[in-house]
Amino acid sequence: MSTTLLKPAAATAPRRITATKQPNTLAVYARHLLGRYRRAGLFWAIGFSVYTALLVLSFPAFQNSGALDVSTYPESLREAFNLESLNLIEPYLSSQVFQLAPLVLAFYPITVFAGAIAGAEERGTLDVLLGNPLPRRNVVLGTWIAVALVMLGMLAILGAATWASALAVDVSLSAREAFRASLNLFPICMAFGSLALLMSAVVRQRAVAIGVPVVVLFLMYLIDIVGKIVSEAAGLRYASAFKYYGDAIVEGVWWGGVAVLLAVALVLLAAAIPAFDRRDIYT
Amino acid sequence: MAEAIVTYDLTKTYGRNRGIRDVNLAIHPGEIFGFLGPNGAGKSTTLRTLLGFMKPSSGRAEILGMDTHARTTEVHARVGNLPSEFTLDDRMTGRQLVTLFARIRGVEDLSYAHEVAERIDADLDRPMRRLSRGNKQKIGIIQALFHQPDVIVLDEPTGGLDPLVQETFLTLLTEARGRGQTVFFSSHVLAEIERVADRVGIIREGKLIAVENPNTLTGKAVRQVRIEFAAPLDDGERAAFTRIPGVEGFAMEGTVARFSVADHMDEIVKLAARHTVLALDVERPSLEEIFLTFYGPHENGVTA
Repeated sequence: MSTTLLKPAAATAPRRITATKQPNTLAVYARHLLGRYRRAGLFWAIGFSVYTALLVLSFPAFQNSGALDVSTYPESLREAFNLESLNLIEPYLSSQVFQLAPLVLAFYPITVFAGAIAGAEERGTLDVLLGNPLPRRNVVLGTWIAVALVMLGMLAILGAATWASALAVDVSLSAREAFRASLNLFPICMAFGSLALLMSAVVRQRAVAIGVPVVVLFLMYLIDIVGKIVSEAAGLRYASAFKYYGDAIVEGVWWGGVAVLLAVALVLLAAAIPAFDRRDIYT
Repeated sequence: MAEAIVTYDLTKTYGRNRGIRDVNLAIHPGEIFGFLGPNGAGKSTTLRTLLGFMKPSSGRAEILGMDTHARTTEVHARVGNLPSEFTLDDRMTGRQLVTLFARIRGVEDLSYAHEVAERIDADLDRPMRRLSRGNKQKIGIIQALFHQPDVIVLDEPTGGLDPLVQETFLTLLTEARGRGQTVFFSSHVLAEIERVADRVGIIREGKLIAVENPNTLTGKAVRQVRIEFAAPLDDGERAAFTRIPGVEGFAMEGTVARFSVADHMDEIVKLAARHTVLALDVERPSLEEIFLTFYGPHENGVTA
């Protein structure tokens, strides 16, 4: 028996498989992740787009019912929740969709980033991956790039759904307004997502990597609301990401705010790289 | 020729008592080196620190002359690795995994991946969540071997495999050696190390306690012997057995003699051959018995 088993050894002895390409491992890995992540991203995008479209489609009915007369509400409340002139589509969508959207859509990058490192370590799949000539830096960067691209796709779907539903009920909302409001979600979602990525690179529990950015997200939302209602606390709003997120559908994109949020996202990403490089991987 | 793998006082401590201390290994190119020790002795910690998954507390390691911490990516390009408890994402199939890893490595020739898959009967098209432990392990073996790396590092590679596949797998390792590849694999099963390893390192409680030829290891160890004769032995004949060095606990029950012996099998067989022997059983020593023979009792009793 052993002689027959040994024969293939002699036959294959002279030949060895070798690498024939010098691959860009960052691109290879990011493309792989894009394929893995896009399905979940599509579900998030469809879910939130349906919600948005339903609100747009019901806008004409609300407009005619007079239920939107908020002139008797206290002024601070009207300002905090953007209740002013709700009989226009832009402030209506601002208060009903886009002020709340980060609370929903940021969950996508947060959960994916938390799963990408801390979650992979918990599942025991991280060291198999890292056994390849794939620098840890490229694991972090590749994940970020893949999530950013999926996020942009999700927001493009949201923008298209918003615009199309407005067209369907003959509400005057330009494509430009719809897309800039949607895409304005990108910096804030990626900022909270990048916090999850940093946590994921530092801690070993996926739950912690999700929990920390979610708590920060809701605290910042609360700070922003308080800052809007209590005029003495208005300065506090600068500590909240929602201040920099602004109100793109009504006021247009605030590029200064976009720059701040993107800078925060990139700083967190940059911090995640050495954090992950330095830490031990357990099974 | 330079060593394939060298560790210099490699130390990794975490927690209070776990980890490895001052491990010094030198593994030659083209040899199969077995790494033997009970569970929790530090086998995985050694391999994981060696491969750069964990930073050494002190000391260092080199693979193919490259520091494994400073040049991790270059090292991984020339190493195939199977971590213990291999698993991968639920929805991924073996084929997807191997394709991804081949792309990362710049390897376009997947012929050996398919050859190995066929020989160990691996299912490449079933998602991970629907594979048994043994079938997952087969995918793990393929991804470690398919690119025919210079150095292969495997942590408990035969776990969950059925005996036939284990045998084929060990043959794959000897074939790899035939191609000049170096194999470093850990196990707590003596028999498989004995079967293929050129040398064996023994680790216990985080310390490398010996590097041996595997045959010496089992040769010197205590074995339990049972001989059934056609007729009872008289006192003089019994005394002849007890005079053989290393024989202990000799006892006769009717026509059956039982005793333990370390080494000196030749004398025993020759002495027994003067009588009519109906049955001769020699029980292979367990890992624990070998440890006892070589290194004395465990400080806190023998662990499995």
